[in-house]
Amino acid sequence: SSSNHYTTSYSTTQSGIYTFSSSPRAILNCSKYREPIAEQYGNIMYDRRVVRGNTYAQYLLPLTPQPDPSELRRQQEARRRAIERRRTKEQLRLRTPEPVEGRKHVDVQTDLYLLELSDKIDESSVECQTDAFLDRPTTPLFIPVKSGKDVATQIEEGELFDFDVEVRPMLEVLVGKTVEQALLEVMEEEELAILRAQQRAFEELRSAELVEVQRLEEQERRRREEKERRIKQQREALQREKESVEKIAAWAFAKQYLSELLPRVYGMLRDKGYFYDPVERDVETEFLPWVIKEVNNTLGKRYVARTILNTLIRDIAEQRLEAYRQEEQK
Amino acid sequence: MTSARISMELPPCIDSSRAPLAFGTRALPQLTEQLDDPEPVTRRRVLAALCDLVHDPEKAFEAISSGCLEKLKALLQDADNTVRVKTTEVLYLLAAYNLGRGAVLKHDVVALLSDMLDEPVDACRKNVHRVLELLAQFPAGADCVLSLGLVPRLVMKLSEEQEEIQALILATLSSCTWVDALPALASNGVSVLRDLLSHPSSNIRCAATRAMVAISVPAEGKLKVCNEDVLPVLVELLSDSDPGVKANAAGTIMNTAIITKGKLQAIKSGAIPPLLALVDSEDTAVCANALRALTTLAEVPSARLELLKHVSLLETHLDHPTSIISRAAATAVRVITWQP
Repeated sequence: SSSNHYTTSYSTTQSGIYTFSSSPRAILNCSKYREPIAEQYGNIMYDRRVVRGNTYAQYLLPLTPQPDPSELRRQQEARRRAIERRRTKEQLRLRTPEPVEGRKHVDVQTDLYLLELSDKIDESSVECQTDAFLDRPTTPLFIPVKSGKDVATQIEEGELFDFDVEVRPMLEVLVGKTVEQALLEVMEEEELAILRAQQRAFEELRSAELVEVQRLEEQERRRREEKERRIKQQREALQREKESVEKIAAWAFAKQYLSELLPRVYGMLRDKGYFYDPVERDVETEFLPWVIKEVNNTLGKRYVARTILNTLIRDIAEQRLEAYRQEEQK
Repeated sequence: MTSARISMELPPCIDSSRAPLAFGTRALPQLTEQLDDPEPVTRRRVLAALCDLVHDPEKAFEAISSGCLEKLKALLQDADNTVRVKTTEVLYLLAAYNLGRGAVLKHDVVALLSDMLDEPVDACRKNVHRVLELLAQFPAGADCVLSLGLVPRLVMKLSEEQEEIQALILATLSSCTWVDALPALASNGVSVLRDLLSHPSSNIRCAATRAMVAISVPAEGKLKVCNEDVLPVLVELLSDSDPGVKANAAGTIMNTAIITKGKLQAIKSGAIPPLLALVDSEDTAVCANALRALTTLAEVPSARLELLKHVSLLETHLDHPTSIISRAAATAVRVITWQP
């Protein structure tokens, strides 16, 4: 199949390319997943593979199951040579020469301070006896050992609370609000003052115009009145003149008219009989009416008499007629 | 040291005369709610805090739009004196703004204020008069004051009140009289003002003369001024120390001298020499009023003769930088040199 693609092993080392002990090859017939293995669990206590006992001086199996003989020989050689080297070194070690005849080597200390060398060990016996039973003292406070750097701090007086700094915002608010209020009030007053000044200026202008208007009005009125008065006067004068002219004319005419009036009047009156004789008049006014009245009375009486007579006659005639009629009917 | 955690307790009460303010936009609604608290102490504190806040125009607008005027109206009749004083003070501060004045008129507070004219507490009365004065400078406000018939009452009060309140009443009256002078005339305003013209305080004199100027505008006013012999007093005031008084006195003379009677009376009281002296003054108002007064007086032939001698003095003012003065000077010169 096409998946089989394996390289041949290059065992040449001169070009420095790979050398494989086992050349890589593709695995054939390998399923992807393991088959589930039915595992047998055993007890480790009874397992031979588990190591028992102490393991300090155990014989460890060599790495390789069989040591290489050349390797073994080499190791033995190395051991032998090491021993030899040691022995030679020991021999070659410089020793102090043997002492001269009659002398002995003695060890001397040459240091500044001498050490006492002795086999004897200083012994001293110390006895101790516990005190009578005491109460167990309280455990001291466990103060662990100091470690690290010591650092101290102290809060000085003015550090936590600085009045000047703290009070600043409050003061700002207080002063600000007061000043704001004051400014408002001052502005209000100024506004009112400006309003009043403006009004006064306006009033002045207005009064100026008003005065002018009124003065001119007044002047007009006066002049008009004066004119009218003069005109009226003039007219009256004219009127009077006219009247006087008319009067003169009338007088002249009247005079002329009246001059012949008088005789004519007298004549007319006489004609009309306004000049009369008193006796005649008296007779006329009194006597004659009386006479007429008396005549009237008399005539009246006569008339009444006649009327009565007429009535009588009529009555009788009627009675007669009645009587005759009744007669006739019978 | 202060910790960064916000404490659960309320902040300490620093000023016990003011209520503590909530933060930000909650401040005014909370104060408004507390205004009808049954305890007078709380009400006093709340009003004190409100007074301080209302100096700020934004807070004033908030207060008005959150409708605390209704509650202030109710508090005006409170039994506690301090509460009433503070309420009127708040109203005075609100009336300094146009919106406040409109709201005061709309909520009909002026009627309640007019009832308080007879208050026993001085500070309260003073604040009431301050409110009225501010209102009267505003045409709708002046109309309201006039329509409520306050002018006769104010004229009556004028003779009985203290000095500062008198100054306020005079200012109110002059503003109202500019709008409509008849009520003031009807309630004998001219004689009351004449008495005040000789007051020692220059403030009062100034305000009184200003009211006089306003009163002498209509024809009946001029007649009354002539009838009540005010002109001699005015001529005296022409030599007063205060320039405002001088200006207003000259103004009244100029108004009154429009009618013939006024002219004759003025000349008889010798108004011409002081007026001529005033023409040289530095103050614009004084100079202008004096020139105009001379103009009205110059219609009389006798005065014209006299003034012809001083025409040169007037001509120096023809080129004054202020247009009012130069115009007035031109008119004066024209009238004086007029030939029939």
